[in-house]
Amino acid sequence: MSAATRFLRNDSLTLAFGTAFLLALVGQAAAGRADLNNQLVAAGLQPLGVAGYLASSEFAVDVTENWQSEYLQFFLYIFGTVWLLQRGSPESKSLDRAGTESEREQKIGPHATGESPAWARTRGVRLVVYSRSLGLVMALFFLGSWASQSITGWSAYNADQLRDLQAPVAWGQYVLSADFWNRTLQNWQSELLAVASMAILSVYLRQRGSPESKPVGAAHTSTGVEG
Amino acid sequence: MGVRAGRRVSRSAVLAMVLVAGTAGCGQLSGREDAASAVVNRFEQDAARGDGAAMCAALAPGTREELEDQEESDCEQAVTGLGLPDGGTLRRVDVFGQQARAVLQGDTVFLSAFPGGWKVTAAGCEPRPGMPYRCDLKGD
Repeated sequence: MSAATRFLRNDSLTLAFGTAFLLALVGQAAAGRADLNNQLVAAGLQPLGVAGYLASSEFAVDVTENWQSEYLQFFLYIFGTVWLLQRGSPESKSLDRAGTESEREQKIGPHATGESPAWARTRGVRLVVYSRSLGLVMALFFLGSWASQSITGWSAYNADQLRDLQAPVAWGQYVLSADFWNRTLQNWQSELLAVASMAILSVYLRQRGSPESKPVGAAHTSTGVEG
Repeated sequence: MGVRAGRRVSRSAVLAMVLVAGTAGCGQLSGREDAASAVVNRFEQDAARGDGAAMCAALAPGTREELEDQEESDCEQAVTGLGLPDGGTLRRVDVFGQQARAVLQGDTVFLSAFPGGWKVTAAGCEPRPGMPYRCDLKGD
């Protein structure tokens, strides 16, 4: 097997979804531009070119409001599943392991192996940070995307206001506005629904060959088992 | 337990895009405000001189068309006949995306970006609490 073929096979999950992400983003840009331009033309204003739309706050807010909710979902999921359990779900660990677990179970400090990451073999701040790095990075991406949504959403909202001959609002007013929280909460609710659905449906339903599912013949009551 | 690996995206790429998205629309804001200010100041000077041709050249196409339909006359005659208030000193300019508002001492003017620069979409506007401005001159 050549190196290229091996790379395509071994990283097919990231490559496939990464490519699909880019295609969807291009599609969103095309549809979003057409939608905005319909509104601009109807108002007798100048439609935006491709570059103008890609640099616009309208495009940016539509992208970032979805990103923030995805990273919030992962942040909550990663941190929440340390303590929260779901009997029978492969998304949950076994019912007697709630919490941050022992150093032996986590292979840290004196229990680290030769293959453990360097920071897992240390003590102090580096171990504390590395032990939470996945959730922390998701939290940072969430906060960054949400902050970006607030700024680009504010700009897009005010452009709408001006188009409608209304006064613009300050950023502080915008983050308390119905527009900001409608955009935010409509994304949060869908992500939370997806997590709750996955946790409970995977108790009773199976997908043969998927690590997101228990083995087809596994009991509904077996918890923390991946297929 | 399983995490949906398909949602993993290059972290540095995501961070870069978040930063780019966060600053979208902010580039060269000062220059755009200056350009909008210049258009408004010129429009006010033209109005003070009663130069209808210059005022009409500053209007957005939709605003000009609406004015001519509403007044049932050509633009130059119609715009000078509106009796727009004397704007006076320019106090502030707000630019968001392709839209702008200029608040003057005695008037408020709305603008929109076109290929040739900023054009006036509404003028002679008075604020109304919780409602759009009431404007003597505006598009449809």
